[in-house]
Amino acid sequence: MTFADISRRTFLTGAARLGAVAFAGAGVPFMGMARAQQVVSGSGGLHRKIPASGETIPAIGLGSWITFNVGNDPVLLKNCADVMGAFFAGGGKMIDSSPMYGSSQATIGHGLAALGIARDQVFATDKVWTGDENGGAEQIAQSAKNWGISRFDLLQVHNMLDWEDQLPMLQAKKAAGELGYIGVTTSHQRRHELLSVIMQREPLDFIQVTYNPLDRAVENRILPMAQERGIAVIINRPFRGGHLTKALRGKALPGFAGDYGAQSWAQLILKYIISHPAVTCAIPATTKVDHVRENLAAAMPDKGGNAGKTDILPDILPDEKMRHAIANAIGDAL
Amino acid sequence: MTDWWDYHLIDFLLFSTRVYYRLFASFNLAFWPVNLALYLAGAGLVVLVLRSGTGAGADRQRWLCRLVPVILALMWAWSGAVFMGYYYQPINWAVPYVLPLFGFETLMLAVFAVRKTPLQFCWRGDFSSMAGVALLVLAIPVYPFFSLFSGRDMMAAELFGSAPDPTMIGTLGLLLLARGTWRWILLPAPVLWCLITSLTLWAMDQDIAWLPLVAAWLAILGGWMDAKSGVTRKPVATPPGRLNSTHHQTDKVGFIE
Ligand SMILES: NC(=O)c1ccc[n+]([C@@H]2O[C@H](COP(=O)([O-])OP(=O)(O)OC[C@H]3O[C@@H](n4cnc5c(N)ncnc54)[C@H](OP(=O)(O)O)[C@@H]3O)[C@@H](O)[C@H]2O)c1
Repeated sequence: MTFADISRRTFLTGAARLGAVAFAGAGVPFMGMARAQQVVSGSGGLHRKIPASGETIPAIGLGSWITFNVGNDPVLLKNCADVMGAFFAGGGKMIDSSPMYGSSQATIGHGLAALGIARDQVFATDKVWTGDENGGAEQIAQSAKNWGISRFDLLQVHNMLDWEDQLPMLQAKKAAGELGYIGVTTSHQRRHELLSVIMQREPLDFIQVTYNPLDRAVENRILPMAQERGIAVIINRPFRGGHLTKALRGKALPGFAGDYGAQSWAQLILKYIISHPAVTCAIPATTKVDHVRENLAAAMPDKGGNAGKTDILPDILPDEKMRHAIANAIGDAL
Repeated sequence: MTDWWDYHLIDFLLFSTRVYYRLFASFNLAFWPVNLALYLAGAGLVVLVLRSGTGAGADRQRWLCRLVPVILALMWAWSGAVFMGYYYQPINWAVPYVLPLFGFETLMLAVFAVRKTPLQFCWRGDFSSMAGVALLVLAIPVYPFFSLFSGRDMMAAELFGSAPDPTMIGTLGLLLLARGTWRWILLPAPVLWCLITSLTLWAMDQDIAWLPLVAAWLAILGGWMDAKSGVTRKPVATPPGRLNSTHHQTDKVGFIE
Protein backbone atom coordinates (compact mmCIF):
# COMPACT_ATOMS: atom_id res chain seq x y z
CA MET A 1 0.00 0.00 0.00
CA THR A 2 1.44 3.35 -0.93
CA PHE A 3 1.14 6.43 1.14
CA ALA A 4 -1.10 7.93 -1.54
CA ASP A 5 -3.59 5.14 -0.96
CA ILE A 6 -3.90 5.77 2.73
CA SER A 7 -7.14 7.42 3.70
CA ARG A 8 -7.25 10.55 5.78
CA ARG A 9 -8.77 8.85 8.73
CA THR A 10 -5.68 8.24 10.78
CA PHE A 11 -4.05 11.50 11.55
CA LEU A 12 -6.53 13.87 12.96
CA THR A 13 -5.17 14.89 16.28
CA GLY A 14 -4.69 18.16 18.09
CA ALA A 15 -3.44 21.00 16.02
CA ALA A 16 -3.37 18.91 12.86
CA ARG A 17 -7.14 18.80 12.99
CA LEU A 18 -7.16 22.54 13.29
CA GLY A 19 -4.63 22.64 10.46
CA ALA A 20 -7.47 21.88 8.06
CA VAL A 21 -8.68 25.41 8.54
CA ALA A 22 -5.24 26.93 8.61
CA PHE A 23 -5.55 28.40 5.17
CA ALA A 24 -8.77 30.19 5.91
CA GLY A 25 -7.02 33.10 7.58
CA ALA A 26 -7.17 36.50 5.94
CA GLY A 27 -4.09 38.06 4.42
CA VAL A 28 -2.59 41.18 5.93
CA PRO A 29 -0.01 43.42 4.34
CA PHE A 30 3.43 42.79 5.78
CA MET A 31 5.61 45.58 7.01
CA GLY A 32 3.93 47.94 4.64
CA MET A 33 5.76 46.55 1.63
CA ALA A 34 3.50 46.51 -1.37
CA ARG A 35 5.17 43.60 -3.13
CA ALA A 36 5.87 41.56 -0.05
CA GLN A 37 4.38 38.11 0.05
CA GLN A 38 1.25 38.22 2.12
CA VAL A 39 1.18 36.95 5.65
CA VAL A 40 -1.68 34.67 6.43
CA SER A 41 -2.35 33.17 9.81
CA GLY A 42 -4.16 30.12 10.97
CA SER A 43 -3.87 27.53 13.67
CA GLY A 44 -0.76 26.21 11.95
CA GLY A 45 0.88 29.56 12.57
CA LEU A 46 2.22 31.98 10.04
CA HIS A 47 1.57 31.05 6.42
CA ARG A 48 3.02 32.59 3.30
CA LYS A 49 1.71 32.79 -0.21
CA ILE A 50 3.50 31.13 -3.08
CA PRO A 51 3.52 34.00 -5.59
CA ALA A 52 3.15 31.70 -8.61
CA SER A 53 -0.21 30.35 -7.48
CA GLY A 54 -1.46 32.14 -4.40
CA GLU A 55 -1.45 28.86 -2.48
CA THR A 56 -0.29 29.32 1.10
CA ILE A 57 2.17 27.21 3.08
CA PRO A 58 3.34 27.41 6.69
CA ALA A 59 6.44 29.55 7.19
CA ILE A 60 8.24 26.76 9.04
CA GLY A 61 9.02 23.55 7.17
CA LEU A 62 11.22 20.60 7.95
CA GLY A 63 14.62 19.68 6.44
CA SER A 64 15.96 16.15 6.32
CA TRP A 65 19.70 16.46 5.51
CA ILE A 66 21.67 14.22 7.92
CA THR A 67 18.90 14.14 10.53
CA PHE A 68 16.70 11.68 8.62
CA ASN A 69 19.53 9.62 7.13
CA VAL A 70 19.17 6.74 9.57
CA GLY A 71 19.30 3.70 7.32
CA ASN A 72 17.39 0.63 8.48
CA ASP A 73 17.69 1.39 12.20
CA PRO A 74 14.18 0.76 13.59
CA VAL A 75 14.72 2.88 16.71
CA LEU A 76 15.87 5.88 14.72
CA LEU A 77 13.16 5.39 12.09
CA LYS A 78 10.62 5.57 14.89
CA ASN A 79 12.35 8.65 16.28
CA CYS A 80 12.11 10.38 12.89
CA ALA A 81 8.46 9.39 12.58
CA ASP A 82 7.89 11.00 16.00
CA VAL A 83 9.56 14.20 14.79
CA MET A 84 7.34 14.15 11.70
CA GLY A 85 4.31 13.44 13.89
CA ALA A 86 5.02 16.50 16.02
CA PHE A 87 5.65 18.52 12.88
CA PHE A 88 2.28 17.67 11.34
CA ALA A 89 0.52 17.98 14.69
CA GLY A 90 1.91 21.51 14.93
CA GLY A 91 0.53 22.40 11.51
CA GLY A 92 3.76 21.91 9.54
CA LYS A 93 3.50 21.00 5.90
CA MET A 94 6.67 21.30 3.81
CA ILE A 95 9.25 18.54 4.14
CA ASP A 96 12.39 18.90 2.05
CA SER A 97 14.63 16.07 0.92
CA SER A 98 16.95 15.01 -1.87
CA PRO A 99 18.28 11.85 -3.49
CA MET A 100 21.61 13.05 -2.12
CA TYR A 101 20.48 12.59 1.50
CA GLY A 102 21.13 8.86 1.87
CA SER A 103 18.08 7.13 3.29
CA SER A 104 16.23 10.36 4.20
CA GLN A 105 13.59 9.95 1.49
CA ALA A 106 12.85 6.42 2.64
CA THR A 107 12.69 7.65 6.24
CA ILE A 108 10.12 10.25 5.22
CA GLY A 109 8.17 7.56 3.35
CA HIS A 110 8.27 5.39 6.45
CA GLY A 111 7.08 8.26 8.65
CA LEU A 112 4.25 9.25 6.32
CA ALA A 113 3.00 5.69 6.14
CA ALA A 114 3.44 5.00 9.87
CA LEU A 115 1.57 8.18 10.79
CA GLY A 116 -1.05 7.70 8.09
CA ILE A 117 -0.63 11.24 6.85
CA ALA A 118 -3.09 12.24 4.14
CA ARG A 119 -1.46 13.33 0.89
CA ASP A 120 -2.71 16.90 1.13
CA GLN A 121 -1.28 17.29 4.64
CA VAL A 122 2.25 17.32 3.32
CA PHE A 123 3.90 19.68 0.87
CA ALA A 124 6.31 17.12 -0.62
CA THR A 125 9.50 18.89 -1.63
CA ASP A 126 12.41 17.07 -3.17
CA LYS A 127 15.21 17.53 -5.69
CA VAL A 128 16.83 16.17 -8.80
CA TRP A 129 20.52 15.65 -8.32
CA THR A 130 22.21 14.11 -11.31
CA GLY A 131 24.73 15.04 -13.96
CA ASP A 132 23.15 12.58 -16.36
CA GLU A 133 21.06 14.60 -18.78
CA ASN A 134 18.60 11.75 -19.20
CA GLY A 135 18.74 10.48 -15.64
CA GLY A 136 16.42 13.02 -13.98
CA ALA A 137 13.08 11.39 -14.70
CA GLU A 138 14.23 8.00 -13.47
CA GLN A 139 15.62 9.54 -10.31
CA ILE A 140 12.35 11.36 -9.64
CA ALA A 141 10.43 8.11 -10.05
CA GLN A 142 12.72 6.44 -7.48
CA SER A 143 12.38 9.41 -5.10
CA ALA A 144 8.58 9.24 -5.36
CA LYS A 145 8.74 5.53 -4.61
CA ASN A 146 10.88 6.23 -1.54
CA TRP A 147 8.37 8.79 -0.30
CA GLY A 148 5.45 6.49 -1.18
CA ILE A 149 3.75 9.19 -3.24
CA SER A 150 2.97 9.58 -6.91
CA ARG A 151 3.52 13.31 -7.31
CA PHE A 152 5.75 15.92 -5.74
CA ASP A 153 4.50 19.38 -4.88
CA LEU A 154 7.89 20.89 -5.58
CA LEU A 155 10.99 19.60 -7.31
CA GLN A 156 14.20 21.60 -7.33
CA VAL A 157 17.47 21.19 -9.17
CA HIS A 158 19.82 20.40 -6.29
CA ASN A 159 22.78 22.79 -6.22
CA MET A 160 21.80 23.73 -9.79
CA LEU A 161 23.58 20.58 -10.97
CA ASP A 162 23.11 20.21 -14.74
CA TRP A 163 20.32 22.77 -14.56
CA GLU A 164 20.40 23.31 -18.33
CA ASP A 165 19.10 19.77 -18.84
CA GLN A 166 17.13 19.24 -15.65
CA LEU A 167 15.06 22.44 -15.60
CA PRO A 168 13.45 21.83 -19.03
CA MET A 169 12.66 18.28 -17.88
CA LEU A 170 11.01 19.67 -14.72
CA GLN A 171 9.16 22.31 -16.74
CA ALA A 172 7.79 19.60 -19.03
CA LYS A 173 6.66 17.57 -16.03
CA LYS A 174 4.98 20.60 -14.51
CA ALA A 175 3.22 21.37 -17.80
CA ALA A 176 2.02 17.76 -17.89
CA GLY A 177 0.63 18.15 -14.36
CA GLU A 178 3.09 15.66 -12.92
CA LEU A 179 4.36 18.09 -10.30
CA GLY A 180 3.26 21.30 -8.66
CA TYR A 181 6.17 23.71 -8.72
CA ILE A 182 9.78 23.84 -9.86
CA GLY A 183 12.86 25.49 -8.45
CA VAL A 184 16.61 25.44 -7.92
CA THR A 185 18.71 25.29 -4.76
CA THR A 186 22.11 26.29 -3.48
CA SER A 187 23.70 26.78 -0.09
CA HIS A 188 26.80 28.63 -1.18
CA GLN A 189 27.31 32.28 -1.80
CA ARG A 190 29.75 31.62 -4.62
CA ARG A 191 26.84 30.22 -6.66
CA HIS A 192 24.73 33.38 -6.33
CA GLU A 193 25.94 34.74 -9.64
CA LEU A 194 24.72 31.68 -11.48
CA LEU A 195 21.55 31.62 -9.39
CA SER A 196 20.68 35.16 -10.40
CA VAL A 197 21.24 34.30 -14.08
CA ILE A 198 18.88 31.33 -13.78
CA MET A 199 16.34 33.46 -11.91
CA GLN A 200 16.36 35.90 -14.80
CA ARG A 201 16.25 33.36 -17.58
CA GLU A 202 13.99 30.61 -16.30
CA PRO A 203 10.39 30.64 -15.09
CA LEU A 204 11.05 29.48 -11.53
CA ASP A 205 8.40 29.07 -8.84
CA PHE A 206 10.88 28.60 -5.99
CA ILE A 207 14.49 29.13 -5.09
CA GLN A 208 16.17 27.64 -2.03
CA VAL A 209 19.10 29.50 -0.47
CA THR A 210 20.94 29.85 2.82
CA TYR A 211 19.98 32.72 5.07
CA ASN A 212 20.42 33.43 8.76
CA PRO A 213 21.65 36.33 10.88
CA LEU A 214 25.26 35.44 10.04
CA ASP A 215 24.90 34.44 6.39
CA ARG A 216 23.18 37.45 4.89
CA ALA A 217 24.60 37.61 1.37
CA VAL A 218 21.18 36.87 -0.18
CA GLU A 219 19.86 40.14 1.24
CA ASN A 220 21.80 42.14 -1.34
CA ARG A 221 20.55 40.73 -4.57
CA ILE A 222 18.87 37.35 -4.45
CA LEU A 223 16.00 38.12 -2.06
CA PRO A 224 15.04 41.46 -3.67
CA MET A 225 15.18 39.78 -7.06
CA ALA A 226 12.96 36.93 -5.90
CA GLN A 227 10.46 39.44 -4.56
CA GLU A 228 10.50 41.39 -7.77
CA ARG A 229 10.07 38.33 -9.96
CA GLY A 230 7.47 36.67 -7.76
CA ILE A 231 9.61 33.66 -6.83
CA ALA A 232 8.97 31.91 -3.54
CA VAL A 233 12.03 31.52 -1.29
CA ILE A 234 12.88 28.54 0.93
CA ILE A 235 15.63 29.09 3.47
CA ASN A 236 18.01 26.23 4.16
CA ARG A 237 20.67 25.96 6.88
CA PRO A 238 18.85 28.42 9.16
CA PHE A 239 21.06 27.28 12.05
CA ARG A 240 24.18 26.75 9.96
CA GLY A 241 23.68 23.02 10.25
CA GLY A 242 23.33 23.32 14.04
CA HIS A 243 26.66 25.11 14.60
CA LEU A 244 24.90 28.38 15.29
CA THR A 245 22.49 27.03 17.90
CA LYS A 246 25.36 25.09 19.48
CA ALA A 247 27.58 28.15 19.67
CA LEU A 248 24.77 30.16 21.25
CA ARG A 249 23.91 27.51 23.83
CA GLY A 250 24.05 28.93 27.33
CA LYS A 251 24.37 32.53 26.13
CA ALA A 252 21.79 34.95 27.52
CA LEU A 253 19.01 35.98 25.13
CA PRO A 254 18.68 39.72 24.53
CA GLY A 255 15.95 41.36 26.57
CA PHE A 256 13.84 42.23 23.52
CA ALA A 257 13.51 38.54 22.52
CA GLY A 258 10.52 38.23 24.81
CA ASP A 259 8.76 41.08 23.03
CA TYR A 260 8.44 38.80 20.02
CA GLY A 261 7.66 35.69 22.02
CA ALA A 262 11.11 34.17 21.36
CA GLN A 263 12.09 31.86 24.16
CA SER A 264 15.29 30.55 22.61
CA TRP A 265 18.02 31.54 20.21
CA ALA A 266 16.58 29.07 17.70
CA GLN A 267 13.25 30.89 17.74
CA LEU A 268 14.89 34.28 17.50
CA ILE A 269 16.91 33.14 14.48
CA LEU A 270 13.81 31.72 12.79
CA LYS A 271 11.89 34.91 13.48
CA TYR A 272 14.73 36.86 11.95
CA ILE A 273 14.62 34.69 8.83
CA ILE A 274 10.89 34.50 8.22
CA SER A 275 10.40 38.17 8.93
CA HIS A 276 12.21 39.03 5.72
CA PRO A 277 9.41 39.91 3.31
CA ALA A 278 10.86 37.85 0.48
CA VAL A 279 11.07 34.66 2.53
CA THR A 280 8.34 32.08 2.09
CA CYS A 281 9.55 29.52 4.62
CA ALA A 282 12.54 28.19 6.52
CA ILE A 283 13.24 24.48 6.74
CA PRO A 284 15.22 23.69 9.91
CA ALA A 285 16.12 20.02 10.31
CA THR A 286 16.02 18.25 13.64
CA THR A 287 16.14 14.86 15.30
CA LYS A 288 14.21 16.08 18.32
CA VAL A 289 10.49 16.35 18.92
CA ASP A 290 11.05 19.24 21.34
CA HIS A 291 13.03 21.13 18.74
CA VAL A 292 10.48 20.68 15.99
CA ARG A 293 7.81 22.04 18.34
CA GLU A 294 10.05 24.92 19.36
CA ASN A 295 10.77 25.74 15.72
CA LEU A 296 7.10 25.68 14.74
CA ALA A 297 6.27 27.84 17.74
CA ALA A 298 8.54 30.56 16.35
CA ALA A 299 5.84 31.27 13.76
CA MET A 300 2.87 30.85 16.08
CA PRO A 301 0.81 33.62 17.61
CA ASP A 302 1.54 33.93 21.33
CA LYS A 303 -0.62 32.04 23.76
CA GLY A 304 -2.07 35.16 25.37
CA GLY A 305 -5.51 34.82 23.91
CA ASN A 306 -4.40 36.07 20.53
CA ALA A 307 -4.47 32.75 18.73
CA GLY A 308 -6.60 32.93 15.64
CA LYS A 309 -6.43 36.72 15.33
CA THR A 310 -4.69 37.60 12.13
CA ASP A 311 -3.75 41.14 13.06
CA ILE A 312 -1.39 40.11 15.87
CA LEU A 313 0.87 38.15 13.58
CA PRO A 314 3.30 40.92 12.75
CA ASP A 315 3.74 41.33 16.50
CA ILE A 316 5.49 37.99 16.69
CA LEU A 317 7.96 39.06 14.03
CA PRO A 318 10.59 41.78 14.32
CA ASP A 319 10.56 44.82 12.06
CA GLU A 320 13.56 45.96 10.06
CA LYS A 321 15.13 47.81 12.99
CA MET A 322 14.73 44.89 15.33
CA ARG A 323 16.06 42.48 12.71
CA HIS A 324 19.31 44.44 12.81
CA ALA A 325 19.22 44.25 16.58
CA ILE A 326 18.88 40.46 16.40
CA ALA A 327 21.82 40.13 14.03
CA ASN A 328 23.90 42.38 16.29
CA ALA A 329 22.87 40.48 19.42
CA ILE A 330 23.95 37.21 17.82
CA GLY A 331 27.22 38.75 16.67
CA ASP A 332 27.83 40.02 20.21
CA ALA A 333 26.94 36.72 21.83
CA LEU A 334 29.38 34.72 19.68
CA MET B 1 32.67 35.50 1.71
CA THR B 2 31.82 31.91 0.85
CA ASP B 3 34.16 30.27 -1.60
CA TRP B 4 35.32 26.77 -2.34
CA TRP B 5 37.69 26.81 0.60
CA ASP B 6 34.69 27.51 2.77
CA TYR B 7 33.63 23.92 2.22
CA HIS B 8 34.42 21.97 5.34
CA LEU B 9 34.90 18.24 5.38
CA ILE B 10 31.73 18.15 7.46
CA ASP B 11 29.81 19.48 4.42
CA PHE B 12 30.43 16.16 2.74
CA LEU B 13 29.29 14.07 5.68
CA LEU B 14 25.91 12.55 4.99
CA PHE B 15 25.12 11.14 8.39
CA SER B 16 25.54 11.86 12.07
CA THR B 17 28.08 10.21 14.35
CA ARG B 18 25.26 8.70 16.34
CA VAL B 19 23.76 7.00 13.29
CA TYR B 20 27.19 5.76 12.16
CA TYR B 21 28.05 4.06 15.44
CA ARG B 22 24.58 2.65 15.85
CA LEU B 23 25.25 0.70 12.66
CA PHE B 24 27.81 -1.39 14.56
CA ALA B 25 25.42 -1.96 17.45
CA SER B 26 22.69 -3.18 15.07
CA PHE B 27 25.18 -5.28 13.11
CA ASN B 28 26.59 -6.94 16.24
CA LEU B 29 23.15 -7.47 17.72
CA ALA B 30 21.87 -9.18 14.59
CA PHE B 31 24.98 -11.23 13.77
CA TRP B 32 26.88 -11.56 17.03
CA PRO B 33 27.66 -15.29 16.64
CA VAL B 34 29.32 -14.73 13.24
CA ASN B 35 31.07 -11.54 14.30
CA LEU B 36 32.33 -13.12 17.51
CA ALA B 37 33.45 -16.30 15.70
CA LEU B 38 35.39 -14.28 13.12
CA TYR B 39 36.95 -12.16 15.86
CA LEU B 40 38.08 -15.18 17.85
CA ALA B 41 39.26 -17.00 14.73
CA GLY B 42 41.28 -13.90 13.78
CA ALA B 43 42.78 -13.59 17.26
CA GLY B 44 43.64 -17.32 17.28
CA LEU B 45 45.30 -17.09 13.88
CA VAL B 46 47.46 -14.21 14.98
CA VAL B 47 48.67 -16.15 18.02
CA LEU B 48 49.53 -19.09 15.76
CA VAL B 49 51.33 -16.83 13.29
CA LEU B 50 53.40 -15.23 16.04
CA ARG B 51 54.28 -18.59 17.53
CA SER B 52 55.17 -20.05 14.15
CA GLY B 53 58.29 -17.89 14.09
CA THR B 54 59.69 -19.65 17.11
CA GLY B 55 60.59 -22.99 15.73
CA ALA B 56 57.20 -24.06 14.43
CA GLY B 57 57.23 -27.11 12.29
CA ALA B 58 56.97 -26.98 8.52
CA ASP B 59 53.62 -28.73 8.81
CA ARG B 60 52.05 -25.92 10.75
CA GLN B 61 53.58 -23.37 8.37
CA ARG B 62 52.08 -25.26 5.48
CA TRP B 63 48.47 -25.08 6.66
CA LEU B 64 48.81 -21.72 8.35
CA CYS B 65 49.92 -20.11 5.09
CA ARG B 66 46.67 -21.34 3.54
CA LEU B 67 44.42 -20.70 6.50
CA VAL B 68 45.39 -17.06 7.07
CA PRO B 69 44.32 -15.85 3.60
CA VAL B 70 41.19 -18.01 3.73
CA ILE B 71 40.06 -16.48 7.03
CA LEU B 72 41.04 -12.99 5.90
CA ALA B 73 39.07 -13.48 2.66
CA LEU B 74 36.04 -14.51 4.70
CA MET B 75 36.41 -11.41 6.87
CA TRP B 76 36.64 -9.08 3.89
CA ALA B 77 33.70 -10.73 2.18
CA TRP B 78 31.61 -10.60 5.36
CA SER B 79 32.32 -7.01 6.25
CA GLY B 80 31.99 -5.96 2.59
CA ALA B 81 28.72 -7.72 1.88
CA VAL B 82 26.94 -7.46 5.19
CA PHE B 83 28.26 -4.40 7.01
CA MET B 84 29.04 -2.26 3.98
CA GLY B 85 26.29 -3.52 1.70
CA TYR B 86 23.42 -3.89 4.11
CA TYR B 87 24.15 -1.51 6.99
CA TYR B 88 26.39 1.24 5.65
CA GLN B 89 25.13 1.66 2.11
CA PRO B 90 21.65 2.97 3.05
CA ILE B 91 23.21 5.96 4.81
CA ASN B 92 26.11 6.50 2.42
CA TRP B 93 25.47 6.40 -1.30
CA ALA B 94 29.24 6.39 -1.92
CA VAL B 95 29.54 2.82 -0.59
CA PRO B 96 29.01 1.15 -3.99
CA TYR B 97 32.09 3.00 -5.20
CA VAL B 98 34.29 1.39 -2.52
CA LEU B 99 32.74 -2.08 -2.59
CA PRO B 100 35.05 -3.12 -5.47
CA LEU B 101 37.95 -2.73 -3.00
CA PHE B 102 36.36 -5.40 -0.82
CA GLY B 103 35.67 -7.61 -3.83
CA PHE B 104 39.21 -7.25 -5.14
CA GLU B 105 40.84 -8.00 -1.78
CA THR B 106 38.61 -11.01 -1.17
CA LEU B 107 39.48 -12.39 -4.58
CA MET B 108 43.20 -11.78 -4.16
CA LEU B 109 43.23 -13.39 -0.73
CA ALA B 110 41.44 -16.40 -2.19
CA VAL B 111 44.07 -16.58 -4.94
CA PHE B 112 46.84 -16.47 -2.33
CA ALA B 113 45.11 -19.23 -0.40
CA VAL B 114 45.38 -21.63 -3.31
CA ARG B 115 48.52 -20.30 -4.98
CA LYS B 116 51.41 -22.71 -5.47
CA THR B 117 53.88 -20.53 -3.59
CA PRO B 118 51.80 -19.25 -0.68
CA LEU B 119 52.50 -16.32 1.59
CA GLN B 120 54.45 -17.11 4.73
CA PHE B 121 53.40 -15.44 7.96
CA CYS B 122 55.83 -15.33 10.86
CA TRP B 123 57.61 -13.12 13.32
CA ARG B 124 60.99 -12.02 11.96
CA GLY B 125 61.98 -9.58 14.65
CA ASP B 126 62.56 -6.70 12.20
CA PHE B 127 60.80 -3.34 11.90
CA SER B 128 57.98 -4.76 9.77
CA SER B 129 57.29 -7.54 12.26
CA MET B 130 57.13 -5.06 15.11
CA ALA B 131 54.90 -2.68 13.17
CA GLY B 132 52.74 -5.62 12.15
CA VAL B 133 52.28 -6.76 15.72
CA ALA B 134 51.52 -3.20 16.82
CA LEU B 135 48.79 -2.97 14.19
CA LEU B 136 47.37 -6.35 15.18
CA VAL B 137 47.30 -5.35 18.84
CA LEU B 138 45.50 -2.16 17.84
CA ALA B 139 43.04 -4.02 15.61
CA ILE B 140 42.20 -6.95 17.86
CA PRO B 141 42.36 -6.33 21.61
CA VAL B 142 42.35 -2.51 21.59
CA TYR B 143 39.88 -1.45 18.89
CA PRO B 144 36.71 -2.83 20.51
CA PHE B 145 37.35 -0.66 23.57
CA PHE B 146 37.19 2.59 21.64
CA SER B 147 33.46 2.17 21.79
CA LEU B 148 33.54 2.16 25.60
CA PHE B 149 36.12 4.97 25.85
CA SER B 150 33.86 7.15 23.71
CA GLY B 151 30.90 6.51 25.97
CA ARG B 152 29.12 4.15 23.63
CA ASP B 153 27.70 0.76 24.35
CA MET B 154 30.07 -2.23 24.22
CA MET B 155 27.59 -3.70 21.76
CA ALA B 156 28.66 -0.99 19.30
CA ALA B 157 32.26 -2.30 19.45
CA GLU B 158 34.00 -2.54 16.10
CA LEU B 159 35.36 -6.06 15.87
CA PHE B 160 38.25 -7.37 13.83
CA GLY B 161 36.77 -9.66 11.21
CA SER B 162 33.46 -7.89 10.75
CA ALA B 163 33.86 -4.11 11.14
CA PRO B 164 35.87 -2.60 8.27
CA ASP B 165 38.33 -0.41 10.21
CA PRO B 166 39.89 -3.01 12.53
CA THR B 167 39.71 -5.59 9.74
CA MET B 168 41.73 -3.34 7.44
CA ILE B 169 44.25 -2.46 10.15
CA GLY B 170 44.58 -6.13 11.11
CA THR B 171 45.08 -7.09 7.46
CA LEU B 172 47.88 -4.54 7.21
CA GLY B 173 49.41 -6.03 10.36
CA LEU B 174 49.34 -9.53 8.90
CA LEU B 175 50.76 -8.28 5.61
CA LEU B 176 53.72 -6.86 7.52
CA LEU B 177 54.28 -10.26 9.11
CA ALA B 178 54.19 -11.93 5.71
CA ARG B 179 56.90 -12.12 3.15
CA GLY B 180 56.87 -12.39 -0.60
CA THR B 181 56.91 -9.57 -3.14
CA TRP B 182 53.45 -10.39 -4.42
CA ARG B 183 51.90 -9.72 -1.03
CA TRP B 184 52.01 -6.01 -1.88
CA ILE B 185 49.15 -6.54 -4.26
CA LEU B 186 47.09 -6.88 -1.08
CA LEU B 187 48.24 -3.48 0.19
CA PRO B 188 46.27 -0.88 -1.87
CA ALA B 189 42.75 -1.90 -0.79
CA PRO B 190 43.31 -1.62 3.01
CA VAL B 191 45.49 1.47 2.56
CA LEU B 192 42.82 3.19 0.48
CA TRP B 193 40.16 2.23 2.99
CA CYS B 194 42.30 3.62 5.82
CA LEU B 195 42.50 6.96 4.01
CA ILE B 196 38.75 7.03 3.41
CA THR B 197 37.87 6.05 6.96
CA SER B 198 40.32 8.56 8.45
CA LEU B 199 38.62 11.33 6.49
CA THR B 200 35.20 10.11 7.60
CA LEU B 201 36.23 9.91 11.26
CA TRP B 202 37.89 13.30 11.00
CA ALA B 203 34.70 14.81 9.57
CA MET B 204 32.86 13.23 12.50
CA ASP B 205 35.37 14.85 14.84
CA GLN B 206 36.55 11.53 16.28
CA ASP B 207 39.75 11.44 18.34
CA ILE B 208 40.88 8.21 16.67
CA ALA B 209 40.64 9.63 13.14
CA TRP B 210 44.42 9.61 12.73
CA LEU B 211 44.86 5.93 13.66
CA PRO B 212 43.91 4.33 10.30
CA LEU B 213 46.14 6.88 8.59
CA VAL B 214 49.07 5.91 10.79
CA ALA B 215 48.31 2.24 10.15
CA ALA B 216 48.47 2.83 6.39
CA TRP B 217 51.67 4.81 6.75
CA LEU B 218 53.28 2.08 8.90
CA ALA B 219 52.34 -0.57 6.36
CA ILE B 220 53.83 1.41 3.50
CA LEU B 221 56.94 2.21 5.53
CA GLY B 222 57.32 -1.45 6.53
CA GLY B 223 56.95 -2.51 2.92
CA TRP B 224 59.57 -0.02 1.83
CA MET B 225 61.98 -1.17 4.54
CA ASP B 226 61.38 -4.80 3.58
CA ALA B 227 62.12 -4.00 -0.03
CA LYS B 228 65.30 -2.18 1.02
CA SER B 229 66.51 -4.94 3.31
CA GLY B 230 65.64 -7.54 0.73
CA VAL B 231 63.49 -9.49 3.18
CA THR B 232 60.88 -10.25 0.56
CA ARG B 233 63.45 -12.04 -1.52
CA LYS B 234 64.95 -13.97 1.36
CA PRO B 235 64.07 -17.51 2.35
CA VAL B 236 61.56 -17.87 5.12
CA ALA B 237 63.97 -19.37 7.56
CA THR B 238 66.53 -16.61 7.27
CA PRO B 239 67.06 -15.25 10.76
CA PRO B 240 66.64 -11.48 10.97
CA GLY B 241 70.32 -11.03 11.74
CA ARG B 242 71.27 -12.53 8.43
CA LEU B 243 68.77 -10.76 6.26
CA ASN B 244 71.44 -8.60 4.66
CA SER B 245 73.70 -11.53 4.01
CA THR B 246 74.28 -12.39 0.38
CA HIS B 247 74.63 -16.06 1.27
CA HIS B 248 71.13 -17.46 0.86
CA GLN B 249 69.88 -20.53 2.55
CA THR B 250 66.77 -22.39 1.61
CA ASP B 251 64.51 -24.52 3.72
CA LYS B 252 61.64 -26.81 2.93
CA VAL B 253 59.31 -23.99 2.10
CA GLY B 254 61.75 -22.36 -0.26
CA PHE B 255 62.00 -18.88 -1.69
CA ILE B 256 58.93 -16.81 -1.72
CA GLU B 257 58.43 -14.54 -4.71
N1 LIG C 1 21.79 22.82 -1.45
C1 LIG C 1 20.70 22.40 -0.86
O1 LIG C 1 19.74 22.07 -1.51
C2 LIG C 1 20.65 22.32 0.62
C3 LIG C 1 21.80 22.53 1.38
C4 LIG C 1 21.71 22.46 2.77
C5 LIG C 1 20.49 22.19 3.36
N2 LIG C 1 19.38 21.96 2.62
C6 LIG C 1 18.07 21.68 3.25
O2 LIG C 1 17.89 22.58 4.33
C7 LIG C 1 17.64 21.85 5.53
C8 LIG C 1 18.16 22.60 6.73
O3 LIG C 1 19.55 22.77 6.70
P1 LIG C 1 20.54 21.87 7.57
O4 LIG C 1 19.90 20.59 7.93
O5 LIG C 1 21.82 21.79 6.82
O6 LIG C 1 20.86 22.72 8.84
P2 LIG C 1 20.01 23.50 9.95
O7 LIG C 1 18.55 23.27 9.77
O8 LIG C 1 20.54 24.88 9.95
O9 LIG C 1 20.50 22.81 11.28
C9 LIG C 1 20.11 21.54 11.66
C10 LIG C 1 20.63 21.32 13.05
O10 LIG C 1 20.06 22.28 13.92
C11 LIG C 1 19.68 21.69 15.13
N3 LIG C 1 18.41 22.25 15.60
C12 LIG C 1 17.22 22.23 14.97
N4 LIG C 1 16.28 22.86 15.71
C13 LIG C 1 16.90 23.28 16.83
C14 LIG C 1 16.47 23.97 17.97
N5 LIG C 1 15.21 24.37 18.12
N6 LIG C 1 17.38 24.23 18.94
C15 LIG C 1 18.67 23.85 18.81
N7 LIG C 1 19.13 23.19 17.74
C16 LIG C 1 18.25 22.90 16.76
C17 LIG C 1 19.48 20.22 14.82
O11 LIG C 1 19.95 19.46 15.91
P3 LIG C 1 18.92 18.52 16.75
O12 LIG C 1 18.75 17.31 15.92
O13 LIG C 1 19.64 18.31 18.03
O14 LIG C 1 17.67 19.31 16.90
C18 LIG C 1 20.29 19.96 13.56
O15 LIG C 1 21.49 19.29 13.85
C19 LIG C 1 18.33 20.53 5.27
O16 LIG C 1 17.92 19.53 6.17
C20 LIG C 1 17.97 20.28 3.84
O17 LIG C 1 16.66 19.77 3.74
C21 LIG C 1 19.43 22.05 1.26
